[in-house]
Amino acid sequence: MKKMLLLALCGTGLTWATATAAPADTVKVGVIATFSGPFARWGEQFQQAIKVYQKQHGTSVKGNTIDVIYRDDGGPDPTRAKQLAEELILREKVQFLGGFVFTPNALAVADIVTEAKMPTVIFNAATAVVTRKSPYFVRTSQTIPQVTVPIAQWAFKNGVKRVITAVSDYAPGYDAEQYFVKTFKAAGGEVLESIRIPLATTDFSPFYERVLQQKPDVLFIFGPGGPPTVGMINTWASRLKPAGIRLLCTAETQEIDLPKIGPVALGVVSAFHYTETVDNPLNKALWADLTAMFGKNTVPDLASAGAYDAMELIYRAVANFGPQVTGDEAIGFWRGMALDSPRGPIKIDETTRDIIQNVYLRKVEERDGKLENINFETVPMVRDPWKDEHPE
Amino acid sequence: MLDITILLDGVAYGMVLFIISVGLTVTMGLMRIVNLAHGAFAMIGGYLATMLLGAGLPFFAAAIVAAALVGIVGAVAELAIYRPLYRKGELAQALMTFGFTFVVIAALTTAFGTGIRTLPVPPTLSGVVDIGFRTYPTYRLFLVAVGLVLALLLWLLIDRSSYGARLRAAVDNPRMASAVGIDVNLLFTVTFAGGCALAAFGCVIGAALMPLEPYYALRYLVLFLVVVGVGGIGNFKGSFVAAIALGIIDTGGKFLVPQAAAYMFYGAVLILLLLRPHGLMPAKSAA
Repeated sequence: MKKMLLLALCGTGLTWATATAAPADTVKVGVIATFSGPFARWGEQFQQAIKVYQKQHGTSVKGNTIDVIYRDDGGPDPTRAKQLAEELILREKVQFLGGFVFTPNALAVADIVTEAKMPTVIFNAATAVVTRKSPYFVRTSQTIPQVTVPIAQWAFKNGVKRVITAVSDYAPGYDAEQYFVKTFKAAGGEVLESIRIPLATTDFSPFYERVLQQKPDVLFIFGPGGPPTVGMINTWASRLKPAGIRLLCTAETQEIDLPKIGPVALGVVSAFHYTETVDNPLNKALWADLTAMFGKNTVPDLASAGAYDAMELIYRAVANFGPQVTGDEAIGFWRGMALDSPRGPIKIDETTRDIIQNVYLRKVEERDGKLENINFETVPMVRDPWKDEHPE
Repeated sequence: MLDITILLDGVAYGMVLFIISVGLTVTMGLMRIVNLAHGAFAMIGGYLATMLLGAGLPFFAAAIVAAALVGIVGAVAELAIYRPLYRKGELAQALMTFGFTFVVIAALTTAFGTGIRTLPVPPTLSGVVDIGFRTYPTYRLFLVAVGLVLALLLWLLIDRSSYGARLRAAVDNPRMASAVGIDVNLLFTVTFAGGCALAAFGCVIGAALMPLEPYYALRYLVLFLVVVGVGGIGNFKGSFVAAIALGIIDTGGKFLVPQAAAYMFYGAVLILLLLRPHGLMPAKSAA
C-alpha cells in the first residue's frame, strides 16, 4: 500500500514537472546563492527580499507567472556554481539567472551565460571586473572601488592627514587598500603603512600595536564580515580609540552586524551604497514588509537591496517583452535604465552594465536605544572608478 | 616599554589559547581520546550561556552554570557515544567525533541561525586599566588571571591529588587500575564531563576574542589541536607551556614582520614539532 502511494506520488510529481516546463505564461528565474554553511545569511537575505518584492508586486506580470527557483552553491565554489547554472539553463529552462554572492562563482558562470545568451543579474559579487566577463551580466550591488574612493576623499577633505590601512589578506581587501591609498595620496594625504591581516587571524592586537606606535589620525579597515570584522573593530575600540585614532570603513558597520559590535561603534564613519535608515518610501516599505513577514529582528542589508532591485529589472523586462523575452532584448532594455531602489536612485550604466548609484557617508548613532547608521552626506551617482581607469 | 607590551600581548594571547583548549588537554591530552568534538561541546556551552545571560544571569554565573550543564551533556555523551569507541582505535574516534561536530553545527544553525551571538563581558572588564607606563584592556588581564588560576587548579588536581593519580593510572593501564579497585568507568565519565565543562567555560570566557557562531567548532579546531599536540599528548603542563610559547612567538612575529603574519603561527608549530615530534613535554608513557 505504502509503495503504491509512493508510486502515485512520483507520478503526479512527474506530470507536474512536465506540465510546468513548457507553458508560455511561466517565466522561470534561477537564483544561485549560498543557503547553507557559514555564509547562509546571504541566501536568506536574497530570498526574503525576493519574497517581499513578490508580495508587493505580485507573483505575475501581465498574467505571466514569475517562478523563482533557488539553488544552493554552499559558499565560494566555482565548480558547483557552474554545474548549477548548467542545470538551471538546460533542464529547468530558466529565462533569467541571478544571485552570486562570491566573485569566483560569478566568474565561473560567465562563459555558459554568454553561450546561452542568458540575462544574468549579479546580486552581490563586488569585484570590479565581474561585469566585463560576460555581455549578459548586469550588476545591482556595488564595486569595492565605488565605495572606497568616496571615504578616502571625505577623509582628506575633513582634515585627516596621516592614515594607516589594515585590510584582510584576500582579493577584495587588496582592492580596498589600493583604491584608498591611491585616492588619499592623490588628494595630498600621507599613508604611513598598509597592513594585510591574514583571514584566519583571531588576535588583532599585534597589528594594532604597530598602528599605535605610528600614531596616524585614522585607521582605515576592510574586513571579510563575521568574526574577523568584529575582532578588527573591537580591538580598535580597546587599543586605538583611547589614543584618539579614528576608524573609517565601508561595509563593516552595517546594521545587521552592529549589535555584535556594540556601543564601541558609536561615532564610526563609513561610506556605503546602502544605509538601512535611508529615508525613502521604498526602503521603508521593504523594511516594514521584511519585519512583518520574517520577524521583528529582520534587518535589510546590501544583499536585500541587490536582490530587490534585480527583481525590479526582471519584472520590467517581462512586462515589456512578454514571457518569451530573449537575453539580447533584456540586456539592451536594461542598459541605461534608471530606477528607484530602496537605497535611492540607481542606474545601469549604458556601456559597462554596472551600477551607478549614490554613496552615503554615514555615522553610527544611537536612536531609541538601538545602534543605527545615519547618513550625513551623499556623494551622488558614483560610477565604478575601476572601469573608468580600465576602459575596454 | 614596547617590548613589555608585546610580551604581555603574547602571554595574553597564549592564555586565550590555553583557556579555549584546556578542556581538550583533559579529554585528548590526558584521556587520549581523539576528541575532535571539543569545539562542539565548547559552543554548546556558549549558546547556553547566551540564553542564561538573556534570562538575566550575570556573566560569571552564566559561564559557570553553562559549564555545569555541558558537563552533564558530556557525561551523557561519554556513556552513549565515547565509551564504545575507547577500544576502536583512533580512526573510529576521529570519524565519530568529527561527525558529532557536524551534527552539533547543524543543530545550532537551525536553532540560532548562522550569525555571531555576542556574550558581552561585564562593564567592569570591558574598560582599560592603567598599568604604569600605558593603559591596557582589562579583559586581557582578566584572561591572564583566569588562565593562571585554571592552570594552577588543574596542576593541583592532576599532579597532586589522589584523583589525579588514579586517573593517570586508569589511562595508562585500565585493567591493572580496575584490579586495584579503581572504578575506571566512573573515573572516565567524570573526567570527560569535567573536560567538556572546561571547554564550555573557555568558550564563554574567551568569546570576546573568538566570537561564538555555529562554525566555532571547526574554525578554531586547528588551534585547539595545535596547543595539545605541541604541548605533548598526555601532559597538560606541556599544553600550558605550548600555548604561552605560541602566543608570544605569534604576537611578536606579527608585530615585527606583519608581511609574514600568515606564516608565523604555523611556522612556529612546524619548527617546534620538527625539534620535538612528541611535543614540548611528552608524557613518558605516551611516547
